[in-house]
Amino acid sequence: MPVIEQKKRMVRINGCVASAQAAKYADVDVIAAYPIRPYTATMMALAQMVANGELDAEYIVADSEHSQLSIAHGASSSGARVFTGSSGVGVQFAYELYSPISGSRMPVQMMIADRTLDPPGDFGSEHTDALSTRDMGWIMGWSCDAQEAFDNHLIAYRIGEDPRVLLPQMVCQDGFFVSHITGDVELPDMGQVKEFLPPYKHPYPLDPRHPVSHGPQIMPEQGPPLQLERARAMEGSMAVIEEVHEQFAKIFGRKYDPWLEEFMTDDAEVVFFLQGAHAVTARFAIQHMRERGLKVGMVRLRTIRPYPTERVQESLSRFKVVGVIETNMALGSVSSGGALYAEAAAALYESPKRPLMVSFMAGMGGEAIVLKEFYWMTEKMLDAQRRGKIEKRTHWVGFEE
Amino acid sequence: MATIEVQRQMLPILNSPNQGARFYNPELPSSEPFVPGHRTCAGCGPSIQYRMTSKAAGDNTILVGPTGCMYVANSSYLCTPYNVPWAHTQIGSAGSFTAGVAAAYEAMIRKGKWKGQFPNIICEAGDGSASDIGLASISGALYRNHDCLIICYDNEQYANTGIQASSRTPYGGMTTFSPPGPEVPEGKKLYPKDLARMMAAGHPHCYVATASVGYPIDLMNKVRKGLNHKGAAYLMVYTPCQKGFVYETPRSIDLGRLVVECGLYPMWEWNPEKREFDYSFRPASMRPVSEYLKLQGRFGHLHAEHIANLQKFANQQWGMMGVQLPEALLHAADAKNLTNMAAASEAQAVAETV
Repeated sequence: MPVIEQKKRMVRINGCVASAQAAKYADVDVIAAYPIRPYTATMMALAQMVANGELDAEYIVADSEHSQLSIAHGASSSGARVFTGSSGVGVQFAYELYSPISGSRMPVQMMIADRTLDPPGDFGSEHTDALSTRDMGWIMGWSCDAQEAFDNHLIAYRIGEDPRVLLPQMVCQDGFFVSHITGDVELPDMGQVKEFLPPYKHPYPLDPRHPVSHGPQIMPEQGPPLQLERARAMEGSMAVIEEVHEQFAKIFGRKYDPWLEEFMTDDAEVVFFLQGAHAVTARFAIQHMRERGLKVGMVRLRTIRPYPTERVQESLSRFKVVGVIETNMALGSVSSGGALYAEAAAALYESPKRPLMVSFMAGMGGEAIVLKEFYWMTEKMLDAQRRGKIEKRTHWVGFEE
Repeated sequence: MATIEVQRQMLPILNSPNQGARFYNPELPSSEPFVPGHRTCAGCGPSIQYRMTSKAAGDNTILVGPTGCMYVANSSYLCTPYNVPWAHTQIGSAGSFTAGVAAAYEAMIRKGKWKGQFPNIICEAGDGSASDIGLASISGALYRNHDCLIICYDNEQYANTGIQASSRTPYGGMTTFSPPGPEVPEGKKLYPKDLARMMAAGHPHCYVATASVGYPIDLMNKVRKGLNHKGAAYLMVYTPCQKGFVYETPRSIDLGRLVVECGLYPMWEWNPEKREFDYSFRPASMRPVSEYLKLQGRFGHLHAEHIANLQKFANQQWGMMGVQLPEALLHAADAKNLTNMAAASEAQAVAETV
């Protein structure tokens, strides 16, 4: 097994390959693949690793995304560590399986490289694909670069397989911006991974020596206790998530706040609130605007399920104006914009000090959000701060003066 | 890479492949992976099949149950009738979930994470799952040749949801989605999808066979052949449903034989080594389809022409089996020689015309 003996080294790879590397380091047993861009490159890399003998796993070319997730469900139920993934409409083709997998408490891991849904179905990144499954009981968060993607896969396995949690995980990255842009990634020493990620051991797998029944039909009155248990597992995962991030920092030397990344927020009056790859551009834009004396910062949501309500409330309450960059569609929703606004606003509802909030529909169709658009959005926020009220709840960036 | 070789089970084939209804056979294992205590109907064909199948497989077995009546009626929460591991999966996930279980055991045994003989992995899919919504997933599992047995317990309808037509519902079969009326006197207008042949033709490396609860030892031997076959196997089993077929509950096994004797459920095996069909199974006698139809309320509305159509269909099936048709069956394929089945007295007359 060549990889097992590998020492720590730096490589230059894109997000898709970083995810494949993470699956290899996690020594997954079953991989369920089905092609759809842009995530496909992850499965291509894994296929080659299996062909080369670098990874001993059952590599299954499924007949659909629905089958991918069902294969993952069956394999995880049997006690195997499972890796699967998808993009765009593929994520939705598998929709039926998300609740059964979390409901049976199987820690399947799914890599998502976002893609717009149809229409427009272009290869660009919109978070609507994965976000549409956000209430299905999966632990979910976005990476903003290849290194973070690699790390998040290992972290997510560790969280999901923890016997106190036992929940599936969606490890998301923006299509193209992360999935197909190369960056420096530190591949760890296998010993570090072994120390961090113990072998997967489900307490009640499908094992002929200890027969169990998974998922029997229930009567209506038996439903609420099961739903409550799943809800508690999600809530209870928050403490485990913090614990696992600390352990990760100790072993690998990279420290992430599990919930929020704050950038230049100490004295900021207006901030962007977003998730995923556009944070990279936002950091540059903010630095430029800081040079012009504008008190702007950024708060990046790293984990959206479970939603860090208290942390979001504490953080965003400190500012005068919050501009939510959506990169997703929630048609006819409370802001007529995206899904992030509603949840951030709800988190702030109980705060005695609520900022003005505005939603920006930017990066739609997978377009890059360019620097001048960040400047434009900042102007809108500063304008709201000056006037003490927002001009309107949702701006479609690039379609207004 | 150093890997552990996967050891597989080899189950003995039972002697005395009798064609009678007798279930007793001294060679049968005493173990009962499927026990009483479930909520299936009296005379339920699929659950009779479930018992025979799991008995043939033994205790080192994992069962997969896609949604269907064998999920809902069998597995009540906190009280399931399985003495072996069992998992529910979605109705469209029959082949894929099963493939996941098989793949997990391949990997776990090979990598030393689970020690023991490779378990029998059996999926019990209804015909709605197998012929409609889960067809692609089953085809995928057969195509990829996972070491598993996928059984379609064929009660020719969606029974769990209150009797709706599936692509396996026979021509003339009344269901709540194919009711007869003045404009559509026959009820179901389409002939059933030839699912088992489709599986054999499309996945010739797999063991594929048809069976019926009317022939228990034959059924159990086909289960064992499917399990012994290294790779994927598919078994299509006729399992009458008294709720949907509307018959007297003690007659399930009788129907299981009559359907074969009438040529409506040809019994055959696909031999994956020789790549050919084995049509050597012959029922004790051949009968006109009306013998089978008259026992079931779901065919009670049929007119003479519809019965003749079904007889023509059965005669074609006999032809595919290479059976020479007796004069009586050719006679019975002509509506002129038949009577409508619209009333009980007429149903009796139908039996007397042939």
